[in-house]
Amino acid sequence: MVAGERSVVVEEPRLTVRRRSSGSWSRRSLLLFLLPVLATVLTGLATLTISGNLLLPFERVVVLEGKMASKRDFFEDEEVRRILLKHHISVHITSSGSREVAMRDIAAFDFVFPSGQPAGDLITGVRAADGRYAKVHRPFVSPIALATYREYAETLRDAGIATPLPSEGADRPLYYSLDMRKFLDSIDRGKRWNDLGIRRHGIANANRIVAQSPDVCGSNSAGTYLALVSFTWRGDGPDVPTTDQEASSRARSVKHLMEQGLPAADVFRTYISPDGKGIAPVVVAYEHQYLTYQVRHRAETGRLDSERVLLYPSSQFVTQPQFISLNSKGDRLGELVTTDPDLRRRAMELGFRILDPAGEVAGDQLARFLTERNVPVPALRGDDTRSPMPRIRYLERMISIVGDCPVAPLPDQAR
Amino acid sequence: MTGPGRPRPPRRRRALTALALAWLAVLATLASCTSDSPEPVTLRVLASSELADMEPLFDDLRRDTGITLEMEYQGTVEATASLAAGRYRHDLAWLSSSRPFQLLLRKHGRQTESPLSTSTMRSPVVVGLKPEVAQRLRRAAPDGQLSWADLADAAAAGTLKYAMADPRSSNSGLSALVGVATAAAATGGALRPEDVSCDRLRGFFAGHKLTVDSSGGLAGAYARAEGGLDALITYESELLALNRAGTLRAPLEIVYPKDGIVLSDYPLMLLDPARRDAYDRLTAWLRSEAVQRKIMERTLRRPITPDLPRIPSLRTPLGNALYFPDDQAVVDRLLADYAAARSGGPARVLFLLDFSTSMRGERIANLRATFDGLGGADDSRSGKFARFHQGETLTVLRFGGRVLDEQSVTYGKAGDLERLRGFVADDGFATSTAVWSALDHAYRSAADALAKDSRQRVSIVLMTDGENNAGMSLDTFLGRYAALPPAARAVRTYTVRYGDSDPRELDRAARATGGHMADATGQSLLNAFKEIRGCHE
Repeated sequence: MVAGERSVVVEEPRLTVRRRSSGSWSRRSLLLFLLPVLATVLTGLATLTISGNLLLPFERVVVLEGKMASKRDFFEDEEVRRILLKHHISVHITSSGSREVAMRDIAAFDFVFPSGQPAGDLITGVRAADGRYAKVHRPFVSPIALATYREYAETLRDAGIATPLPSEGADRPLYYSLDMRKFLDSIDRGKRWNDLGIRRHGIANANRIVAQSPDVCGSNSAGTYLALVSFTWRGDGPDVPTTDQEASSRARSVKHLMEQGLPAADVFRTYISPDGKGIAPVVVAYEHQYLTYQVRHRAETGRLDSERVLLYPSSQFVTQPQFISLNSKGDRLGELVTTDPDLRRRAMELGFRILDPAGEVAGDQLARFLTERNVPVPALRGDDTRSPMPRIRYLERMISIVGDCPVAPLPDQAR
Repeated sequence: MTGPGRPRPPRRRRALTALALAWLAVLATLASCTSDSPEPVTLRVLASSELADMEPLFDDLRRDTGITLEMEYQGTVEATASLAAGRYRHDLAWLSSSRPFQLLLRKHGRQTESPLSTSTMRSPVVVGLKPEVAQRLRRAAPDGQLSWADLADAAAAGTLKYAMADPRSSNSGLSALVGVATAAAATGGALRPEDVSCDRLRGFFAGHKLTVDSSGGLAGAYARAEGGLDALITYESELLALNRAGTLRAPLEIVYPKDGIVLSDYPLMLLDPARRDAYDRLTAWLRSEAVQRKIMERTLRRPITPDLPRIPSLRTPLGNALYFPDDQAVVDRLLADYAAARSGGPARVLFLLDFSTSMRGERIANLRATFDGLGGADDSRSGKFARFHQGETLTVLRFGGRVLDEQSVTYGKAGDLERLRGFVADDGFATSTAVWSALDHAYRSAADALAKDSRQRVSIVLMTDGENNAGMSLDTFLGRYAALPPAARAVRTYTVRYGDSDPRELDRAARATGGHMADATGQSLLNAFKEIRGCHE
């Protein structure tokens, strides 16, 4: 402690010096304190300004819990998140197949966003029967399609099953029309890709022809594809089954057309991965998924991905995602999604066909946007040719038979 | 004022205090306004053994997210069984594949919601071959591309000895088993129960010389036993890692069988919903570009994120993925066949062959060609799977009005198949046909064989081209069969209808023993023989 004592002695004069400056903090100390604080404030301000959330720290952000399937692409989009933050909303997503959403307890959520009407009807029906809050918003639609690779599309074309559609601005067609009847005929006859002559296009595949979809017991795209398959395979029967018996026999007659073994989740992401051609060469997808992919590919690489192409089934099935708010917090978001111009524009940029307040597809905004981004505009017919979905009760019956899973508990009015 | 060397601590101390305080203030602000502040949390994870190679990334994980993973390793199948029981003891499960789990959920009618699940990376189960072995096998393949059928063929012939993890406990073993069985069935679709009613993999199993319970320990076990082996069947990532480690005498050549592969996608599953926040942080971290790149570089698994550029060794096209069966009964059957091949006794087939005069000429030529085909000359895919295999004992009983001779050989080397050919090369033919007396004789031989070694898996193949015109009647035979000791009675007879034989009697006899009849009047004799190889009913 000798050194310590000595230092005390030496220190004395300096105390006076410090007293002369302002208070007990030297200017240097003050600066040392202030610099990091200042830097932080500036960085923070800059960050907030850039992200458009300048006022955020001063207003509470409401975190909404939502459960959904493929429409999470919308809420996971950076731009959508930014727009929502401006409205002090942040969304926390739980992923699940759309039908899975309808089948399970959703009490913990502020909203659900199943990808199509059947699951939406299930949910609103059950909520209504229980006298609980549910309000539906229908912001946009997207047709169901089959995403595939050039070699596969061209093989189908050779076999007279697919025909190229005009794809302005692309060297080779990006879009094809798929004759569903002929496609299913090939599956029915147990044809393999090799049988259709895919080797002429430089690859071999001894697997049977099938369009891979997620689990039909969980997903809307797979359920819609089932509706498409059973509509195409109806023979002399009515467009859609109208009795339980018809639904059962229709399901049994198409089950083999959808046999793919254990289904995989997230087939579209697998499809766009570098290994997609081997793992998921033909997948059931929504048009918006494919268009978003091409727009992004074009933006990032300056060219289209002409290896990945889209097949539009000859009978068009348009899916209509159902934003269902389960409380007023959720409803505020539902209102925004359907009416906020920025969110509507962004939905369109993500490849959705947005709906006007009357529920009609709003003009040709998507076409204009795609043209701007140098992505060919798919030539689609108007909505009047939309094919009919079976009533939920019959679709449910078909799903449970094809997917070998329990039937959803339907509220009385849907029975 | 202060002498040189004199310390000036108070002033510096104050400055330092100011600085520290300032940074504390900053940190406090940051912590309060950042939503994903790394709040330390420990998650208990039930993991597949091969995921031990993720541990080097865990320090980064703790630093970036505050999450510590407490891993408990098990074989995937064992881990699945504990999940299916529904009593979760862990916060998360991280398995190489959730397929076994999905199959169990399906089996139980899918009444429960499956846990939230996120794929984290990918790796196919493929074959690592010693370069000289790959070269040798490729020379025999017409297009130079190897298939599971080529490997099964070589394994049956004893020229391919491989290591593979036990499919009863490990996912890599199960994936390989499903892959090779799907290739053998060659339906182009997912296996159904009717596709696996006969075991076509006995030849393939004959080459399985090294096994361990879990995929994790397999590469090391292979490296230690390298000298006596030709191939290692496991994840692409394990093979690449083994090659990179440079511990092998020669790196293994990776073959993606052209008839298809099975991939694993390492799903991370949330078992305790209360841990949702941490789970979200963990999956977001795992799927972030930086971490996906690290995973790819360290573990050599393929990234799950579509647009991450691949390292060169992971740019090889995989070929086509096979459809995975959606029925637990299929997997159960395959595993039972595997178990029988591992621990059941040696296989013995008694061929009861009609050598009456009507067989002379083209028919006997066809029979000899059939034995050549089953001996390895049949180049078709089904031929490669159904051929005679190492360790199998083949007994030929030639008969006419009585059993003319009975000769046996246990296939161990190529010369043994020469001897077998000699058994059917005999040109002595008999004038009458005593089908049922001969079958009765065959059952006595079977009973003798079983008395010597009760573990043997014995079956009888009866081929005749004419009606019974000597010896006992079918009814007499069936009466005597019913009186056999249980072990002999359990031996199934498969009958091959050829020429002018009586299909009703042949079918009845086969069914009485639990077997069935194959018809060689509408297809080649070889195909009829292949059809009943390895059948269970």
